Amino acid sequence: MKDNPYLPELARIVEIKEEVGGERAIKSFRTQFIRENGFSFQCGQCAMLSVFGRGESMISISSSPYTSDYHQFSIMKMGRVTTALHDMQENDIIGIRGPFGNAFPVDQWKGKNLIFIGGGIGLAPIWSVLHTALHEQEDYGDFTLIYGARTSGHLVFKDELEELRDKMTVYLSVDEEESGWEEFVGFVPQNVTEKKPSPENAIAVTCGPPIMIKYVIQALQDLEFDDSQIYTTIENKMKCGIGKCGRCNIGSHYVCKDGPVYSWAELKQLPQEY
Amino acid sequence: MENILTKQALPRWIEQLDAYQIYAPVREQEGWKYAIVDTPDSVTLDYPNTVLSLKSILFPQREVFLEFHSQNGRDLEVEELLPGDAQSVIFGVRPCDAKAISLMDKVFGGDYIDNYYWKRRNQTRLIGLACNEPVSPDCFCNAVDGAPYSTEGLDILMTDLGDRYFLESVTEKGEELLAVEDDLFQEAGKKDQKAVKDLRSGAEKKFERKIPELQNMPEILANLFDSDFWEQESMSCIRCGICTYLCPSCHCFDINDEVETAAPLKGVRVRTWDTCQFPDFTMHSSGHNPRSDRAARLRQRVSHKYRYFPEQYDAFLCTGCGRCIDKCPVGIDIVEVLNKAVDYEG
Repeated sequence: MKDNPYLPELARIVEIKEEVGGERAIKSFRTQFIRENGFSFQCGQCAMLSVFGRGESMISISSSPYTSDYHQFSIMKMGRVTTALHDMQENDIIGIRGPFGNAFPVDQWKGKNLIFIGGGIGLAPIWSVLHTALHEQEDYGDFTLIYGARTSGHLVFKDELEELRDKMTVYLSVDEEESGWEEFVGFVPQNVTEKKPSPENAIAVTCGPPIMIKYVIQALQDLEFDDSQIYTTIENKMKCGIGKCGRCNIGSHYVCKDGPVYSWAELKQLPQEY
Repeated sequence: MENILTKQALPRWIEQLDAYQIYAPVREQEGWKYAIVDTPDSVTLDYPNTVLSLKSILFPQREVFLEFHSQNGRDLEVEELLPGDAQSVIFGVRPCDAKAISLMDKVFGGDYIDNYYWKRRNQTRLIGLACNEPVSPDCFCNAVDGAPYSTEGLDILMTDLGDRYFLESVTEKGEELLAVEDDLFQEAGKKDQKAVKDLRSGAEKKFERKIPELQNMPEILANLFDSDFWEQESMSCIRCGICTYLCPSCHCFDINDEVETAAPLKGVRVRTWDTCQFPDFTMHSSGHNPRSDRAARLRQRVSHKYRYFPEQYDAFLCTGCGRCIDKCPVGIDIVEVLNKAVDYEG
């Protein structure tokens, strides 16, 4: 971390990939810092991206810490800053400060079966923890990914998902019937109920829209997962990233600093205001 | 160290502090404010309290973090803009405002040091002025772990003894300010000490507002989290945010870019005060808002001060200055809210 936590480091966008088109497009940006600096992160952490003149936005890092030649951010076009990012080209310069927040406790999960459950853009934070664990796959049990989106056109990382099938069980879903779709049709929580992952010696990580997370957790509880076996990430509006500006708090917790990763057991202790 | 300074000698002392920028309360049309004073004899300490608290100097309402410029988008340069090097002395700081700064020290310190705040803070000496009586009927410092003569956050505390001031230096920085011309200060005698003691016990009795069960407040508020209490109490709120802007300890802020020219790009990134009382404070770009109604926002303001901050830092984030009560256009009164919270059964 730099001496001045508000001062971004400059980084170059080296690659842009369109993941999803349309009104709420999703693009993955790969960046490299212009100057060598001490930026080092753990899976689950976020970074504050600057488009100078537009402002800053907190984005989860979707590449794994083992990827050293770039950092990846997969971003949905939503507000002022993310829209400006979507207008940028390769070789354009952005600012990055961070990393911020806590991390998935992957070291504590060694020897366990890992079940990743994502919806839409929620696969971005999962992508980092999934690849971190995959880097030392032999240290863990079985890997399962249950991932879905509104339509097949809304699934992110499509090519990589196919490659993943060699290494782990991948279950995909779309919300509604579409021609040529051979996998599950329905919402992600329904797919969880359908595929019945075993809670035995397992950890479940779920990220996605708040409503999906709510029902995924219910589905996992019905399968007798304990609250301490379920992990998720929380998003909130953020400005400083360092627990000072006062808007991302849930009770006395600052999501930017104390989150974004929480077990359901931890989250249940906090005021229900997120 | 305890000293006596006659009121006539105050300008002489200030004259000797010529290495510093001197701030003092200055009367303007809208009320009193801290301003840089150029002539030592214009400093008056006969005043109630400033409209904007001391935070307006140490954590200004708008401050520039950095400047950025670029000719073509690919040659971007960013320049850090920290506050200047001027050393300052601020006179006439009421104990509630000084204590609020000591709370802000906790926020802007910790794991991440806020260089902008701390550069100013370290370059500033705070000279307090004890309250011999409440400066407003809304004052309640002694109901929230404070006192009208508290030295918390101060370098020197001055007490008005009629024709002279009783000075206590609290820190080394305070001692340095007193290390001037020999005959300026006299050592305080027993009589002066007794006068101060009497004034203080007298002052304490003049504060009428009380907060029952203060130390249990975090628990009381936790139990009320889901209650309709907040809807009732916030009914009249017009989300103007004045309670938080005038508050000496509210520190929530926004960060935005201000563009001077778009091509070539030139602009600054600024921090400005913000408030939890504005609906868009917490609104996601998706439209989702964790604190979408006034009840949730009043609950946040009160709970931050009397529940969350104590959980985090073991201190209440309120120093009883009374500004939020005095200036609320619809009469929301935090002391009344806390009193009702204690008795609420719903």
